[in-house]
Amino acid sequence: MRTRRESVRRLAGLLLTLAIALGAAPAGAHAIVTGSSLERQPVRAHVATTVLLSFNSGIEVGLSRVDLVRKGDRQQPLPIGAGKRPGELRVSLPPLDPGDYALKFRIFAADGHFTEDVLRFRVAE
Amino acid sequence: MFVQGVANFLDDLMGGLQLAGLCVLIGGLAWGLGVLQAWRDAPGAPLAALRRCIVVLRAGAWLLAAAQALKFLAKLAVLAATLGEVPLARYAATVQFQAGVVRLVLAVAVALAASRLAAAPASRRRWALILVLAAPLAASGAWLVHAVGRFDSRALLMTLTVVHQLAAAVWVGAVIQLFALWRLALVDPEVRRLWPVVVARFSPLGVASVSVLAASGIVLAWYYVGSWEGMLGTGYGSLATAKVLLLALTLGFAGLNFRAGRRWLRDPGAATVVTRVPYYIEAEALLLASIVFVAATLSSQPPAVDIPALTASLAEVLDMFAPKAPRLTSPTHEALLAGEAGRLAVIGRVPSSAATEWSDYNHNVAGVFLLGMGVIALASYVRGWTWARYWPAGFVGLAIFLFFRSDAESWPLGPIGFWQSTLGNGEVLQHRLATLLAFALGIVEMRARTTGTGERLPYVFPVLCALGGVLLVTHAHVPFEIKTDYLIQSTHLVMGLLAVVMATGRWLELRLGHAGATTQSRAAGLVAVGAMLMIGAVLLFYREPLY
Repeated sequence: MRTRRESVRRLAGLLLTLAIALGAAPAGAHAIVTGSSLERQPVRAHVATTVLLSFNSGIEVGLSRVDLVRKGDRQQPLPIGAGKRPGELRVSLPPLDPGDYALKFRIFAADGHFTEDVLRFRVAE
Repeated sequence: MFVQGVANFLDDLMGGLQLAGLCVLIGGLAWGLGVLQAWRDAPGAPLAALRRCIVVLRAGAWLLAAAQALKFLAKLAVLAATLGEVPLARYAATVQFQAGVVRLVLAVAVALAASRLAAAPASRRRWALILVLAAPLAASGAWLVHAVGRFDSRALLMTLTVVHQLAAAVWVGAVIQLFALWRLALVDPEVRRLWPVVVARFSPLGVASVSVLAASGIVLAWYYVGSWEGMLGTGYGSLATAKVLLLALTLGFAGLNFRAGRRWLRDPGAATVVTRVPYYIEAEALLLASIVFVAATLSSQPPAVDIPALTASLAEVLDMFAPKAPRLTSPTHEALLAGEAGRLAVIGRVPSSAATEWSDYNHNVAGVFLLGMGVIALASYVRGWTWARYWPAGFVGLAIFLFFRSDAESWPLGPIGFWQSTLGNGEVLQHRLATLLAFALGIVEMRARTTGTGERLPYVFPVLCALGGVLLVTHAHVPFEIKTDYLIQSTHLVMGLLAVVMATGRWLELRLGHAGATTQSRAAGLVAVGAMLMIGAVLLFYREPLY
């Protein structure tokens, strides 16, 4: 037969497990965008474009991913590469029709932290 | 999505456990050599005390190794979920993986060396081996922190961070050793005689480590935060501020212990070192554990100095806490659901006022629950008002409220079924568990307060409270670090800090009461209730910005 102390221990264990499980947190955000070529050079309609993103930290390009988000939140993976300077990422955009889009990126920083973020932009006529 | 959420959680949790393991390992080494004086021909402590120190140190080494190994797995799971493949070779080529492997191997080596040392606790050669292994282990941390990804002052920041970690490890690890030694002193008279001696010996080590901790912390804050606005208006700065506040509270207990040690040196008949210090050390350990997890969360935040345009002003932060009429009527369920698709869209996002009002109502009503419980808890201190001891029943009511309100799209209010929503969505699972936790807290604490003190049951509440507080504080980070998100999170950060205060107060109320210090016990209990009332007030005045 289970003693009262055992019951308390089991309950405490259960509660601790639950409390720890509650900590399921979103990804940490370390590498953040400090600048992008979209601010200086808007994307032109029907022309393939290379977008340059600058981060505040060193990044692992081979472990990162960028998706193009179109109307209706349809996503398409984009080719990416390292920029000339540390912390820079080149993103190749296909020719786009006029409209609203977003770059959804998941970046693996040099210190091992993941960043998820969205950068919205518009392609004018 | 769910797997990624769990892996992210494991990744974050392992960061905290890694730091905790490092503290226990490094602090154990400092304790063994500096306080127990194992290096002397005739060690300054009985073998039983040395053995206890080594056992704790070894546990720290295993914890560090296990947390590092799990972190690798969690990171790989996150990468696999993100990239759609397991990028083993590319991950193995990263600096942080290689530094992690070095740390893992050295931690295992320390654990094995500690096992050999336990067989001959006074062996200077074996202590020296652990010291030799621990030095590169500590240094490997330089490649696992923020600084490694910085473009400016990289080497300086990497060095400073390691120094900061080492100072913290000595303090935290030594406090844990004090705690472990007191448990041994309860059953070993020889160790009990040693107790006041080690409390006094620890004092200079504690002062030195806190001084280095503070000095390196100030320089790091200068580089990473850079302004007073950043200290309060960003996630990174506010977590640093939270660390400072928790540290100040911890130093209060450390000061009491320091004074008791000094008094014992002057007058060996002084009893405080035995009747109070062990309980203050427990409270100190609780607070230090919270600080370690806050520190681990800090490392996943973008430095405040990098986001000046996204820094909230002091007025904006204060406005989140300013008294305002609580929202006690809720938008309809239909109105809420109608706005969800637009609110969650990436392209063509439309803020939903129904969603913010729904959330305001949830928070404000939860505040009413907490304030009600706090007032009744205060009444329970009035002699003869035994009915008021049932105040934890409020948690049961709160749990029922949360059950219906927390996930509007899921069962019982929404169209998504119970199992589908619970197992298919990490956030819904968290809410379900939170509901269950609140319910269990109410039942456990009510039983503890109404059926006699029992043995361990009363301690479940403060432990869970501290855990909940740490989770609220560490949860104060979001994937999209923008000002609006931070303003929301700032309220959760404050509530997390108050929950840690509440836990410490309740813990001391129980422990000091047990030791017969009725006045101090009561004061600690009132501090705990005060913290609960303040959490209630934060919730009552909570207002979510429209986003």
